[in-house]
Amino acid sequence: MEQEKFEIWMMEYLSGDLDESRKQEFENYLKNSSKHREEFETVAETWNQIDALEVPEPSKMMDASFFDMLNSEIEKKENKKSNWFVNLKSFFDPIQTPQLAFGMLLLAIGLGIGYFLNSSPFEQNIQETVVSNSTNETEEVREQLVLTLLEQPSANKRLQAVNEAAKLNKANQRIIEALFFTLNKDPNINVRLVAIESLARYVETPEVRMGLVKSIALQDSPLVQIALADLMVKLQEKTSIESMEKLLEKPDINNTVKQKLEQSINQII
Amino acid sequence: MQELTNNALMLKVKSGDLDKLGLLYERHKKRLFGFFYNMNSNASLSEDLVQNVFVRMLKYKHTFTGEGSFSAWMFRTARNVNYDYYRKNKIAFNKSEISTVEYKLEDGDSIEKGMNKKDEISVLNRAMQLLPPEKREVLVLSKLKEMKFSEIGVILGCSEGAAKVKAHRALKDLRTIFLQLETR
Repeated sequence: MEQEKFEIWMMEYLSGDLDESRKQEFENYLKNSSKHREEFETVAETWNQIDALEVPEPSKMMDASFFDMLNSEIEKKENKKSNWFVNLKSFFDPIQTPQLAFGMLLLAIGLGIGYFLNSSPFEQNIQETVVSNSTNETEEVREQLVLTLLEQPSANKRLQAVNEAAKLNKANQRIIEALFFTLNKDPNINVRLVAIESLARYVETPEVRMGLVKSIALQDSPLVQIALADLMVKLQEKTSIESMEKLLEKPDINNTVKQKLEQSINQII
Repeated sequence: MQELTNNALMLKVKSGDLDKLGLLYERHKKRLFGFFYNMNSNASLSEDLVQNVFVRMLKYKHTFTGEGSFSAWMFRTARNVNYDYYRKNKIAFNKSEISTVEYKLEDGDSIEKGMNKKDEISVLNRAMQLLPPEKREVLVLSKLKEMKFSEIGVILGCSEGAAKVKAHRALKDLRTIFLQLETR
């Protein structure tokens, strides 16, 4: 057998490209060719050894700098879009003659009527479906973005994540859980405060209400405790009284928070 | 969520939906990082080069047709990024990378200091770094998960058969360097 053909065959065998019968054929061939068997054994050993080479995990910094780059590209693109109207206006600025402007206005109205007459209800349905599909996709990408950003070490990124979560039309279980995790565990007070605002949008859901009530007793920051107490008064959530009373029993409670909680309990009762 | 294919995602990026690049990044960042790390053994440089690949994918998104494999297109970009990096830093490249095995082996003292002969992995790692870059590249690509030789052919600009022959010969050279290092 030609050397080159054998080399190709061997690489197919090593990389798992061969089906069972060709694999068997290759193994049988090796049994009968001592020269190629020897070559195969040495090369195969090295091929398998390569798997042992270790590659470290990329750091979180790589994710952070990638998403920074992507966000700035998206912003650039959005700015370009908003400049579109300004550019159009400046394009028409040199038109001083009223007749020309009037002519263009008539043309625009004509086009508008033509478009209106041509668009059938069927086409409108298609357009609506396309719009709703693209809205769904935007929502999915935003969800992914929220979940990724919430894991970033930078507090700014996590703030951005919680703000993005507030833009979602509907939040699913994963997002709600991630927001609660942030509210109860995030080391940064600002991030926790914004998480309360985001969760407040879903208070119609009983689980979210319960989660917020439970969170009161878990908080150690006076600002977050006050923000939660205010929200409970707004919602007139009676079940929160127990959590607030539990918090009042803590010996190290801040005086302002203490007054605020007592006041809130009275307002709810 | 219904999972979109890599090609579908990249076509969306091409049509202006830049958010989708985030999903492609999450799917491929580790493979790309592994490719660069095996090429240069430098984690921080590899992270920069991964970033450069995605910057370049955005810049040249109009060249993506959706035909053929997305992985092949992405790794061709990665290969160009790697090549351009070494071209721009020619001095550093010439100092650290030497084009022939023989020449490298002459510099035996410094090699000996850096390696432990009893440790096979460490010797193999060193042997990989001593392979000429184009041979190292074909081996690294052929060891990537889910990478087919037909795709490697597209990345390297040769036929599938030629890619297999190149991989085989690179393996043999690696074996030779490995044995030479072990006997020192």
